[in-house]
Amino acid sequence: MTEIVKIKGLQKKFGKFQALSDVTFRVGAGEVVGFIGPNGAGKSTTIRALLGIIKRDAGKAEIFGKDVWKDSLEIHKRISYVPGDVALWGSLTGGEIIDLFMKLHGGGDKQKRDYLIKRFELDPKKKSKGYSKGNRQKVGLIAALSVDSDLYIFDEPTSGLDPLMEAVFQEEVEKIKEAGKSILLSSHILSEVERLADRVVIIRQGEIVESGTLDELRHLTRSAVTLATEKDVSKMETVEGVHDFMQKDNQATFSADNKYINDILMEATKLGVKKFEAVPPTLEDLFMRHYEG
Amino acid sequence: MKEKFARWDILFLQYLKRDWKKIIFWILGIGLFSGGFVPAFEEIAKGQGLIGMFETLQNPAMVSMVGPTPVETAADYTIGAMYAHEMLLFCGLFAMIMAVLHVIGHTRKEEDLGLTELVRSFQIGRQANSLAAMAEVVVINIILALFISALLIVFNVDTISFQGSFLFGASIGMAGVIGAVIGLVMAQIMPASSSATGSALGIVGLLYIARAGTDVSNVDFSMFNPLGWTYLTYPFTDNNWLPIIFALIFSVVMVILAFALEGGRDIGAGYLPEREGRENAKRSLLSVRGLFIKLNRGVTIGWLIGFGVMGAAYGSIYGDMQTFLESNEMMKQMFAQSGVSIEESFTGTIMMVMMVLVSILPIVVVNKLFAEESRQHLSQLYATKVTRGQFYWTTIGLAVIAGLIGTLLAAGGLGGTAISVMEDSAAMDISDFLAAGYNFLPSVLFFTALAALALGWAPKLGKVVYAYLGYSFILNYFDSILDLPEWFLKTAVQSWIPQMPTDSFDAPVFITITVISIVLMIVGYLGYNRRDMIEGA
Repeated sequence: MTEIVKIKGLQKKFGKFQALSDVTFRVGAGEVVGFIGPNGAGKSTTIRALLGIIKRDAGKAEIFGKDVWKDSLEIHKRISYVPGDVALWGSLTGGEIIDLFMKLHGGGDKQKRDYLIKRFELDPKKKSKGYSKGNRQKVGLIAALSVDSDLYIFDEPTSGLDPLMEAVFQEEVEKIKEAGKSILLSSHILSEVERLADRVVIIRQGEIVESGTLDELRHLTRSAVTLATEKDVSKMETVEGVHDFMQKDNQATFSADNKYINDILMEATKLGVKKFEAVPPTLEDLFMRHYEG
Repeated sequence: MKEKFARWDILFLQYLKRDWKKIIFWILGIGLFSGGFVPAFEEIAKGQGLIGMFETLQNPAMVSMVGPTPVETAADYTIGAMYAHEMLLFCGLFAMIMAVLHVIGHTRKEEDLGLTELVRSFQIGRQANSLAAMAEVVVINIILALFISALLIVFNVDTISFQGSFLFGASIGMAGVIGAVIGLVMAQIMPASSSATGSALGIVGLLYIARAGTDVSNVDFSMFNPLGWTYLTYPFTDNNWLPIIFALIFSVVMVILAFALEGGRDIGAGYLPEREGRENAKRSLLSVRGLFIKLNRGVTIGWLIGFGVMGAAYGSIYGDMQTFLESNEMMKQMFAQSGVSIEESFTGTIMMVMMVLVSILPIVVVNKLFAEESRQHLSQLYATKVTRGQFYWTTIGLAVIAGLIGTLLAAGGLGGTAISVMEDSAAMDISDFLAAGYNFLPSVLFFTALAALALGWAPKLGKVVYAYLGYSFILNYFDSILDLPEWFLKTAVQSWIPQMPTDSFDAPVFITITVISIVLMIVGYLGYNRRDMIEGA
């Protein structure tokens, strides 16, 4: 697989503050990578370094095989970017700003623009200082989605959007994903990442702490199991891979290491299974585990 | 009442707490400037100093700059009279501008930033914020007035009387209050804080220019001018408290007007109507240049009109100059001896002053790019194929063009009006005026370059360029009054440039400063091209 984005050992300091200490990940062609982490973990800093808005102190960062600082313009021809907080010129209308962004990017699709304005229900004739946060965000999204790019970088793109518009955004992203484009999606909305992303990269305090496909990540964690048996369920507590065991009559809830799931099932059948439910961890569980544990 | 002003006192105390550093700076800055020059004036007054200064300041050109004095004979011209004559208008103007910026900053600006919305969600009256901001400015100006008065009294000069000192302080404090109410009214009418600030400062500028005209032609008319109510109190001579009372009444009326206007509008809205915008951008907007022109257009046009009006206002004074010379034998001889006409001498001085003001516009344009950057307006543009060089050089280009047009309007306005009022007696033609104006072009370029340098390497220092501009202005302004040492004067860039038409053109200086400016711009570009863009986080 060709690599669209390749970052290795990226570092950045602001004064004494080490914003990024070791960021390493990649985005393959046609891949959607979810980039998650709490506020202040370094998501936006990483993205700004990728865009050549700030200069990295150390490490390698390439997009399309080109250096993000030296060849930023070559790269920018083929990417679209939406910041998490789209700031607009109050005296221009949304329509004017979209046109401007498309023109400066080059190669926009007028029909797509009008279609997206309709889909996102934006009033393009309004001066942008009258827009709410969500409407400003729509301007940025429409401008980015109306042009043809090979890589889309979204930094918390749906902040401020209502759930309906969030869904519209997700549908549009799925379309570009189907068209084989690469996407780097930084987001707090984990369900959104879960739905769209092929792979997930988790950043904490300027360092990548986890990356892989959702399945891979899940495998490393535990499922929540509810088990009811005919015989005494308390025997299950000592089985390897069972944690946080809680019992009420003959029903137990516990978390199970996914790699021991087979052994756990074998033991359970000896007790006569009346009910077995296993819920795989959500991205949220994964996320929480990294920040609480 | 409660619905309107509930808990304004909490906001008021909060403002004092938030602003105490600024307040100290404000009071010390304007206060020391207004009251601290007494020893310098004592120096000037030695020997024939007072008589010489009296004659110099009879010149309409000087009256248009510093204002009139009620003293009719040189013998009655005391140190106190001279101090009030030369200082009061200028200091009052400072106090006024400061108050305008502060009031709008705490009312309309906070509204634009969405802070007012948050505050209003608590048990706070609808107009409590305006009242609190206004109360703060009034308190500051009262303290300022007392500080200046005390400072003047401490110097213990015979002719700087007790009553006069208080009146002098009160006049400056009152100027601040007038500025505050003008700001408060404009904050209600205009649709955003930037336009409120622009229009309020524009009004102050117009008042200054209008009084230049009326002071020269008939000083009674200056009594109709709010700015006139500050210096027409004539401290240490007439000690006239009447203008202070006018100013008080005016301020109360304006505050009531402002509150009525504020009561009638929604938060974030103004009284100037909003039109529906365009669905699609015009072709002219679709480039970095088009965008930057659009972003700077309002401010630039405002300043350019200001330059034209300013030139025309000073130009209208030329008609009175010969009349003045006829009536003053001593001055007539002075000019006859020096070999330059009074018009030429005035042109040289006033052109320097105007060109300092013209230099503000390019600095505004250059600083705008950083303002856009820090407001994150450019985030999405950085991710396009637009180069940093395009951002930088487009801005510099616009700034230089703005400077060129500003010079044309200021010098052209001055010359055009001067020639028309002098009629057949005109000794200069329009090209002399334009040459005198463009002679100062290197200084305009130099200030542009300083702003560009800051933009590239230390963008937060962009505002310091204004401070240097103000410093050069004060230096040159007072050079005609005080006798400053040569080296000190040369720290202002304009002082290197000869004043045409009195002096002759100096090509090496012109070229040297121009080249230095261009080099600074290039150095600024090198910095801009490699530094991190600043974006909130």
